[in-house]
Amino acid sequence: MSVSDTLNASARPAAIALRGIHKAYGRRTALDGLELDVAEGEFFCLLGPSGAGKTTTLKTVAGLEQPDSGTVELDGTDMAGVEPYDRGVAMCFESYALYPHRSAYDNLASPLRSPRHRLPASEARDRVGAIAELLGISALLDRPVGALSNGQRQRIALGRVLVRPARAFLLDEPLSHLDAKLRQSMRAELKAIGAVRRTTTLYVTHDSVEALALGDRIGVIRDGRIVQSGTREEIWYRPRDTEVARAFGRPRINLLPGTITDDGRFCAVDGAFELPVAARTAAGTEVLAGVRPRDLALGGEGHELTGTVYVTEVLGRAVEVTVRLGTQHVSLVVPRADATHLRPDDPVRLTVRPENLLLFEADRPERPGRRIGQ
Amino acid sequence: MTGRKRLWGWLADAALILYFVFALFPIAWMAILSLKPADQLFSTYFSFTPTLDAYRTVLGDSEGIPFVRFFVNSLVVSVGAVALSLVVGLPAAYASARWRFKGSENLMFTLLSFRFAPELTVIIPLFVLYQKLGLFDTYVGMVWVLQLITLPLIVWIMRSYFADLTPELEQAALLDGYTRKQAFFRVALPLVKPGIAAVSLLAFIFAWNNFVFPLILTSSQAQTVTVGALSFLGGDRPKYNLTAAAALVSVVPPLLLALTIQRYLVRGLSFGAVKS
Repeated sequence: MSVSDTLNASARPAAIALRGIHKAYGRRTALDGLELDVAEGEFFCLLGPSGAGKTTTLKTVAGLEQPDSGTVELDGTDMAGVEPYDRGVAMCFESYALYPHRSAYDNLASPLRSPRHRLPASEARDRVGAIAELLGISALLDRPVGALSNGQRQRIALGRVLVRPARAFLLDEPLSHLDAKLRQSMRAELKAIGAVRRTTTLYVTHDSVEALALGDRIGVIRDGRIVQSGTREEIWYRPRDTEVARAFGRPRINLLPGTITDDGRFCAVDGAFELPVAARTAAGTEVLAGVRPRDLALGGEGHELTGTVYVTEVLGRAVEVTVRLGTQHVSLVVPRADATHLRPDDPVRLTVRPENLLLFEADRPERPGRRIGQ
Repeated sequence: MTGRKRLWGWLADAALILYFVFALFPIAWMAILSLKPADQLFSTYFSFTPTLDAYRTVLGDSEGIPFVRFFVNSLVVSVGAVALSLVVGLPAAYASARWRFKGSENLMFTLLSFRFAPELTVIIPLFVLYQKLGLFDTYVGMVWVLQLITLPLIVWIMRSYFADLTPELEQAALLDGYTRKQAFFRVALPLVKPGIAAVSLLAFIFAWNNFVFPLILTSSQAQTVTVGALSFLGGDRPKYNLTAAAALVSVVPPLLLALTIQRYLVRGLSFGAVKS
């Protein structure tokens, strides 16, 4: 039983529920019947390319955008007509949206001075102090936000979200403008913050690594609708279609075109190799066989394939090897020690476990190929 | 090559100096005129014995012309017109920058059209209306009619300032727990301060310099300096020295205002115009 099943089985209403949300800006459709459930206390990552409707989704939850149709529910209550300040959600904007005319302290303290979340001045000072301590920005509080670096601004923006209790946190690409090193350390810190652990969080990102690292569950959004949502295992091992499969994992999943033979095996398009596949579909169907680079090995157990080395590329401790199988190329990631002797055009023997093979319908112009055997 | 460059430099300098003379000569002439005693005004050769008599006469309300009153009238009417336009125009500019509603563009265009319609086209009906409504020759009437000049200016310029602000700042304030009104006052308004300073000055100068409205719509009670200064030209002999002194005195308030808010002005005038 997966995590999502457990959550769905519980009697409590979802902390955030979007039902059939449509939103258009002029002639451009931003959200197209979007459905989303985020359970109480869950860290939910919304992953998608730019323009997919991620930010619009967050703003719809926050009440900053009004959907053309559909309902937004928070803790089972319909939010139609409820103003943003009455929804009890806190949001971190991709642009940070810090008040440029105020100091870092005043930005952090802003929610605590508002009529909805007002604290006595001394308590507010303690609260801001604690948050600043937590985020390592205590030394910056007196500075105007214009004098801060991107990383510091991002922390202030996050601090403004964490400083007061909220029904849910809405975080819009909070790490995307940071350099790689800072992003990685902030990613680890973010999940460790107590308030984030306890509070329902809807987190928007275009970075699949971030989504896999952070999300209790992940929703893949495309063209204004959720294509698939589930735990990272579900998304990784049972992607709904080729595009979801391509979105996760670097190097990308190998998708090899071919057909199904009469005895139910996969035969590559040029007939160079065959693969045993578990999924059943009619003989002669045009399909794509999917195998992740880390699920291919040099030697070892499983179905064997032979080919020749095309190119190798060192990725630190591992090596990405591209192998020619007939006219097709597959990439695999192997430990560096196994690949030191490989030269272009060397013959190699690959193995793949049949259970790691995915089968998809062939991609069509109107939609990516669905996985067969869901 | 360098010689040629130097020649161009000289020519440019000469052109600049020529322009300064052209621009400043009338002012210098007025200054000299205002400092002349009455008997030297019409002499055909240049004779100049500086005296402050003209200023004393103008500011001392002699000659039966209450210039100080005109001056105060101008201040009250111009400040009042700008203040009213700010109170009404800032929310209007904000609303029109943030929300598209039915007819919003038409409304804004209509407002702008007050600016490019010549005042003379409406002055006769206004005169009749003002007589009937009891607004003729009153402060309220003048502040009211000057809205035709100051309001479109303030709304249109401030609209572009608000449009340049990202709406996410106010959205952040809403999520911090502030109402829409508080988001406007606490976040949007402080960020357009330079614009408010610049546009207030411009509106004040337009209101101060307006001539046609006070000429037709006021007489003794609410008359402003622009019309009042002309009174010295009436009578048997035009008193150019008094007119010049009155004109120079009436330049002082806009000049002082411009100098005090100069700091905001340069930033303000360019900030709204250029999209970053």
